[in-house]
Amino acid sequence: MMELFLTVFSAAFFVTVIRTTTPLLLATLGGLIADLGGALNVALEGMMLIGCLTAVIVSVYAPWYVAVLAGLGAGALLGLIMAFFAFRLKADIILVGFAINILAAGGTVFALALATGGDKGTSINLQSKAIPAVDLSFLSGIPVVGPTLSAFLSGHSVLSWLAAILVFAVWYFLYRTPWGLWLRGVGEYPAAPEAAGIPVNKIRTWSLIVSGALAGLGGAQLAMFNYVGFTRDMTAGRGFIALGAVLLGARHPVGALLAALLFGAFEALAVVMPGLFNDIPAELIRAIPFVVTIAALVLFSIRAQRALALRGVK
Amino acid sequence: MSTLPAIDRSSRFKTMRREVGRALGALVIALLVAFVVVLLTSKAPFEALNVLLTQPLSRPRTIGLWIDDIAKLTVTGLAFSLVFQARQFAMGVQGQVYIGALAATYVALSPLGASWAGIPLGIAAAMLAGAFYGFIPGIAKAKLGANEIVSSLMLNYIAIELCNYLVRANLPKPQAGVLTTNDFPDSAVFPTLVANTRIDLSIIFALVAVVLVWFALYRTSWGLKLRLVGHNARFAEYSGIKATFIMVSAMTASGALGGLLGSMFVQGQTYGKLTVLFEGGLAFEGILVAIVARSRPLAVPIVAIFYAYLRQGAQLMNIRTDVPAEVIGIVTAIIILLVSSSYSLNFITRLFRRGPAASAAPAAAGGAAK
Amino acid sequence: MALLEAIGIGKTYPGGVVANDGVNLVIEPGEVHAVVGENGAGKSTLMKILFGIEQPNAGTLLLDGKPVKFANPREAIDAGIGMVFQHFSLVPSFSVYENVVLGSEPKAGIRLDRHKAIAEVEALSEKFRLKVDPLPPVRTLPVGQQQRVEILKALYRNARILILDEPTAVLAPQEVQELFVAIRSLVAQGKTVIFIAHKLPEVLEISDSITVMRQGKTVGQVKTREVTEKSLAAMMVGREVSLRVERKATDQSERVAAVTGLRVVNARGTEVVAGLDLNVHAGEIVGLVGVEGNGQAETLEAITGLRSIAGGDIQVAGRNVSSMSVLERRGLGLASIPEDRIAEGLATGASVAENLVATRLNDPRYVRSGLLDLKAIRANAQKLIERFSIRVGGPSSAVGTLSGGNMQKVVVARELSEQPKLLLVNQPTRGVDLGATQFIWRTITDARDAGAAVLLSSADLSELLALSDRLIVLYRGKIVAAFINQPDLSPETLGAYMLGLSTQTSEEMQVALK
Repeated sequence: MMELFLTVFSAAFFVTVIRTTTPLLLATLGGLIADLGGALNVALEGMMLIGCLTAVIVSVYAPWYVAVLAGLGAGALLGLIMAFFAFRLKADIILVGFAINILAAGGTVFALALATGGDKGTSINLQSKAIPAVDLSFLSGIPVVGPTLSAFLSGHSVLSWLAAILVFAVWYFLYRTPWGLWLRGVGEYPAAPEAAGIPVNKIRTWSLIVSGALAGLGGAQLAMFNYVGFTRDMTAGRGFIALGAVLLGARHPVGALLAALLFGAFEALAVVMPGLFNDIPAELIRAIPFVVTIAALVLFSIRAQRALALRGVK
Repeated sequence: MSTLPAIDRSSRFKTMRREVGRALGALVIALLVAFVVVLLTSKAPFEALNVLLTQPLSRPRTIGLWIDDIAKLTVTGLAFSLVFQARQFAMGVQGQVYIGALAATYVALSPLGASWAGIPLGIAAAMLAGAFYGFIPGIAKAKLGANEIVSSLMLNYIAIELCNYLVRANLPKPQAGVLTTNDFPDSAVFPTLVANTRIDLSIIFALVAVVLVWFALYRTSWGLKLRLVGHNARFAEYSGIKATFIMVSAMTASGALGGLLGSMFVQGQTYGKLTVLFEGGLAFEGILVAIVARSRPLAVPIVAIFYAYLRQGAQLMNIRTDVPAEVIGIVTAIIILLVSSSYSLNFITRLFRRGPAASAAPAAAGGAAK
Repeated sequence: MALLEAIGIGKTYPGGVVANDGVNLVIEPGEVHAVVGENGAGKSTLMKILFGIEQPNAGTLLLDGKPVKFANPREAIDAGIGMVFQHFSLVPSFSVYENVVLGSEPKAGIRLDRHKAIAEVEALSEKFRLKVDPLPPVRTLPVGQQQRVEILKALYRNARILILDEPTAVLAPQEVQELFVAIRSLVAQGKTVIFIAHKLPEVLEISDSITVMRQGKTVGQVKTREVTEKSLAAMMVGREVSLRVERKATDQSERVAAVTGLRVVNARGTEVVAGLDLNVHAGEIVGLVGVEGNGQAETLEAITGLRSIAGGDIQVAGRNVSSMSVLERRGLGLASIPEDRIAEGLATGASVAENLVATRLNDPRYVRSGLLDLKAIRANAQKLIERFSIRVGGPSSAVGTLSGGNMQKVVVARELSEQPKLLLVNQPTRGVDLGATQFIWRTITDARDAGAAVLLSSADLSELLALSDRLIVLYRGKIVAAFINQPDLSPETLGAYMLGLSTQTSEEMQVALK
């Protein structure tokens, strides 16, 4: 037990948690934007996966930041496609989302095979690049706290820092800018913004584009930092966990950050625990985020029901 | 008076023809897109296309694979049809397949599996387990209003991880380290119907399931209630139908079908054992089957025949040419997108004609906003 | 010169319903102009045309003497017209000031200038005497304040003309007075107000001139000081002799439904039915009279079992049904024709035959041991299609393909295919053409003649007068008057009670409350 305690509170574990959290957090923010705009984006998973592959392939030929942008762009494009089918062609958005997931599951393997000349499982034969880690080891020069500071803050991906900034940016956007007001209005009660002359469908379309872009960015982090390279189905349900994290985080960016951290910590535990204890299976630890999400869903639903009951509605 | 039923029938025929036309149109568009992709990427595109479209019929063995796929796609298509007809977006078939497969495996590898009871008990256990797994999101929605889409998706992953764990750590294995169980005893594996092919009892079960689901939906009061709830839940309540009970029972019944599919996977000729990740994403393709079939059970196997053919063609194309099988994912996605949207064949022409005008409209609105 | 003028406006909806037919309206600058008329007289449609939500099929609109056309609300807003709907367009979780500025926010850089927004809202509410705190979320505010937020929204967008659609319908009496204070201050500062209403005392109190509408037409425009409540009511209701349907003498001794002390609370927590005592006997039609929203619909829903009750008892055929399910109540012989056939009375995607049998899925003639008897279901549909002359391809055609009148006939056919003990009817002929109306009236009367107890609610007074044996007037969830229907009972008499102008003493009521 002591061993686990030491591991969990070590700087190395902290760095691992940040690493596992980052892609989740980016996707969760994407899910949040779509959710507040009134759409359950079940395609986060597929958007992330396509973001992963796009970033990996582009990174072979271009600098890492171009690859990251390409991952982001791929997600945004999928968001646009989703909006087109859902709002212009009036398809059910859930079905559209699953179509994109199916496209991603098959399409990535197909495209990978083309890019590698036949490899179907992994991109091991591609010289893909990684996102650089931000080196803050100079902090260890600070007396007393320096070494600790350096151990905790150094070595994170550029995108981890970006994700942290994005939490704030998304919060600022949602609660401090007029467009955030429009987006939340469209999601909560579309008749009101409509009556105020706000182009509701345009807002919804943009929310899906941004949602896709964030998921694509999460994919880039996953395939260019957490792992370097692409493996089939490498997102492994992270897009769906992100959907749960949106709910668990009470539809707020800071809540999203906390929920993503929680799920990231579980993922990190699943990495370190089997090494420490042979009797705790990694599979079951990996299942925890899904269980927690269901629990959160049930809890929130009970709370919502109780709120209704308080107002005297049966 | 005598002409009325005739008009009645002819209007139904017309709707049916329109639906079939839309589905075929979507298929053609999707194949065209796939063909363009192949054309751009393959060294021998025509060879690839030829394999895709003709080779599944080339040998008894490939025909067997095709029929095996028809059986599985039919069952997952039925499972989705049931919940879609009740207007529930439960996405839990995948999880039910894994849970069902686990239940069937425990039966098959127990002493019972070596007896005559191996097959019936295995199927029953799988269906019960699947039904339970379908019941959970149903009751959570009915009692608490928990979104069934999210909860069923989470349950899918829980089932997969549970299966991974049990295969790795709990179930008997031929040797340490492999991620598959011992082969089931012969008495627990579906017998083949045609020697040297994969055609086994699965196809019979699938066809029985089609008839049962059709019967349940169109010949029982439960089915009529389910469809009325799907059409208009408020009207159903007004008529005295307990809409929540119907929703939960639809999801439970659909779960039983998912469980059956799990047993067909592990007890079928293809595996005859439990392997991790055996399902390979097939469960979700039931969405396509259900949507194209408009959730009508009798149309499900017909759609499955076409779709399974494409799937098998893609597998063969993968083996024999330089085009990976996964190109079929593109076809699937396009078909779902087109069939579930308001696209119609003349819509496409309208879309291009209306293009410039539509882009001008928001600009005008934007101008007025200033 | 008139500020806003409508000349010969005509509007026919795709279903063939004529909502406006040659409507004229002249609004002078700086006046409060009331538009009055019964429900369905076409007031709302006219306002939607003025605000650009609907486009007229005929006629012209003049603003400042120049012809204008509004393709959407945005264009009307830009022309200086603001509208406050009965159902508010407010985002519940947003604060007051956020709702007011939504869509035209003051900005500081990319940021919403919160301080400026709050200051502007405060300034507006000060200037026009619309007191409201800009900070709390609107969902926590009482209805009267939410309405002020809506008015502020229009003023924030520089509306010169403010359309209020039945603004007093949702307000308590004190709130009405506060609203009137605000309206007077608006007019004093040069705004023009168009006020839609059907409560005459309020109209007389607040307006300068009045346009009266009836059945989609303008009856006339008058100066408020030149009219009395009586003369106005006469203009609204019209003098035409209403159709009375032939009714047989029936035995009305058996009490079929007995409602005692019924209380119903709605989703907002307001008591909408406040201690109702009501009996309905076999062989009689009891009409529930009242301006819409005074508890009629909720009473019917409570008896059907679709709405939970907060207090009181409901007995049907001598059994207490308060805790019974919808199906059990139907088993006792209860049938119901709901207000909104598409939302509640039908499954439009299902076939006619399926719709006709939906309420009888525990009847052994159609369902035995859980299996449907398709032959019987089809035969039932065939029979009812003929008996009720429903124009449809056949039993398996989808209900959604039928016209409005024929859809309503499907509902009526299902509910009256068997003689009910208790029949609840809400707005049976709304949006239905004359021929179908006659037919539906005849059917309801036939059910009564055969011994059904009928409880009827309708927004159409002539329908109530044509069909009912007794009339019970509801106002704010309470009975304020009761009458035995006699040829000399006039809409004006009922109107006075409907509008809450007077209340009968309990002795007067007792005569008709058996």
